[in-house]
Amino acid sequence: MEKKQVRPPRVLPPVPSAVQDDIPLNRPKKKKSRPKNTLVSTSLDGLVQAAVIRPSEVSEPPTKDQAEHTETPAQRKNKKTRLLPELETSLSQKKASSPTLLRNENGIDVEPAEEAVIQKPRKKTKKTQPSESQYANELGVEDEDIIADEQSNLEQQTVFTAPTGISQPVGKIFVEKSRRFQAADRSELIKTTENLDVPMDLKPSWTTRDVALSVHRVFRMIGFFSHGFLAGCAVWNIVVIYVLAGDQLSNLKNLLQQYKTLAYPFQSLLYLLLALSTISAFDRIDFAKTSVAIRSFLALDPTALASFLYFTALILSLSQQMTSDRIHLYTFGNGSLWAAGIEEQILQPWIVVNLVVALLVGLAWLFLSYRPGMDLSEELMFCSDVEEYPDKDKRIKASS
Amino acid sequence: MLQTSNYSLVLSLQFLLLSYDLFVNSFSELLRMAPVIQLVLFILQDIAILFNIIIIFLMFFNTFVFQAGLVTLLVQKFKGSIILAAVYLALSISLHVWVMNLRWKDSNRFVWTNGLQTLFVFQRLAAVLYCYFYKWTAVRLGDPRFYQDSLWLRKEFLQG
Repeated sequence: MEKKQVRPPRVLPPVPSAVQDDIPLNRPKKKKSRPKNTLVSTSLDGLVQAAVIRPSEVSEPPTKDQAEHTETPAQRKNKKTRLLPELETSLSQKKASSPTLLRNENGIDVEPAEEAVIQKPRKKTKKTQPSESQYANELGVEDEDIIADEQSNLEQQTVFTAPTGISQPVGKIFVEKSRRFQAADRSELIKTTENLDVPMDLKPSWTTRDVALSVHRVFRMIGFFSHGFLAGCAVWNIVVIYVLAGDQLSNLKNLLQQYKTLAYPFQSLLYLLLALSTISAFDRIDFAKTSVAIRSFLALDPTALASFLYFTALILSLSQQMTSDRIHLYTFGNGSLWAAGIEEQILQPWIVVNLVVALLVGLAWLFLSYRPGMDLSEELMFCSDVEEYPDKDKRIKASS
Repeated sequence: MLQTSNYSLVLSLQFLLLSYDLFVNSFSELLRMAPVIQLVLFILQDIAILFNIIIIFLMFFNTFVFQAGLVTLLVQKFKGSIILAAVYLALSISLHVWVMNLRWKDSNRFVWTNGLQTLFVFQRLAAVLYCYFYKWTAVRLGDPRFYQDSLWLRKEFLQG
């Protein structure tokens, strides 16, 4: 409580005429404010003082101060009482020395500087430093101690503010970009991160898994189309063949003449559609996972049967490649290619195979349409990931 | 970690090459006005298959599983695709050489023999299987679990 009562004179501007009066006022102030500081942070105090008191100054005061700081409060109390008579003696000495001070060149500078202490503490310290050292040498340890303490006390305030000024958050932030730290405005950075948040939120929604899934779905759509188109084409093909061949395949020459331009293109189209349909059907039963595929075959799953039918149709269709080319080369052929009477021998199995292919693809299409939404590939390919993801989400939440 | 854009690009390239392969397999017999056309188509097809094999191997190398040294895990998982791709490439090259050898002087000549027919059937069947397995592998490699350390990988490691 006493400390607070003593404080007001410190705030008051110093009377220019009474330098000596200032000292007694400041002295108890210092004595009482010092423990305050030391109690708060002795280590910081020591550091600050070490920083404040420059090498040009006498080396004793800081050590003395540090010694004071390290002392216990009880010791400090004793010291206070001891210092009181010292203070009186030092004051008397100061009073005596003040005229000499005025006479001194440096001493003349000191007095106005001391007056300006409270107004411009920093300037003052710079100006008085050389003078002070001499002053201290002249006056001895005790007087010097008083002024140094005074200064350090005042400088403490300035120094205390100075580091906080440096360590205060600056508007700039240093971000490492391409192995270099670049200054970026804090506000801008906040803005950019805010802007980044939007794609960051969007990004997880479109991963490589989603790309794979979308590609898979696109292919399934193509497969859907090819199943129907293939079934339609095969049926159309066999109808055309039977119509052109006539009743009981009596007009095979007509068939050859009419159909030769269609035979090879249709064979090619049939292969394309059969390939697409087979791949699509395999996708549906997840043929790559053999165990799953075999299980579906054994369970007589319609999709598994459909894929089997497609594969059989593909083999049958491919086996007719030679005959198709023979039909295609009907006009180009010489006698050896289409000898008289050989047409029925060659065309009959070809027609039968085409009929079987048409039946197989038609049946496969029916089987597939029984469960059109079935897609084991998609289920098995990505369902196992889903099991793992909740754990991941939990981990992310826990870390955040 | 595999970037979505990179993966999309690689996947589209793979599908483009697969589409070309399917197209040549389907319509190369029709495009035989001149033997050179077929020759170019066949060469490009073989290069496409080779490119696809290289791409799939590059994708394997890019996985965390491979980089962690678990090559056997990848090989076990995709051995069907690797073997099929190799077999298909071999079948394709042999068929192309055979067909071109027979048709080089006259592209509209009837060249089929039982042997060629058999090879043709096997090559085309292998093409379908290769296409399916390759597509399956390419899509499967889009799984993010292949590109990061995960519980699944540790389980697989312990099992293997």
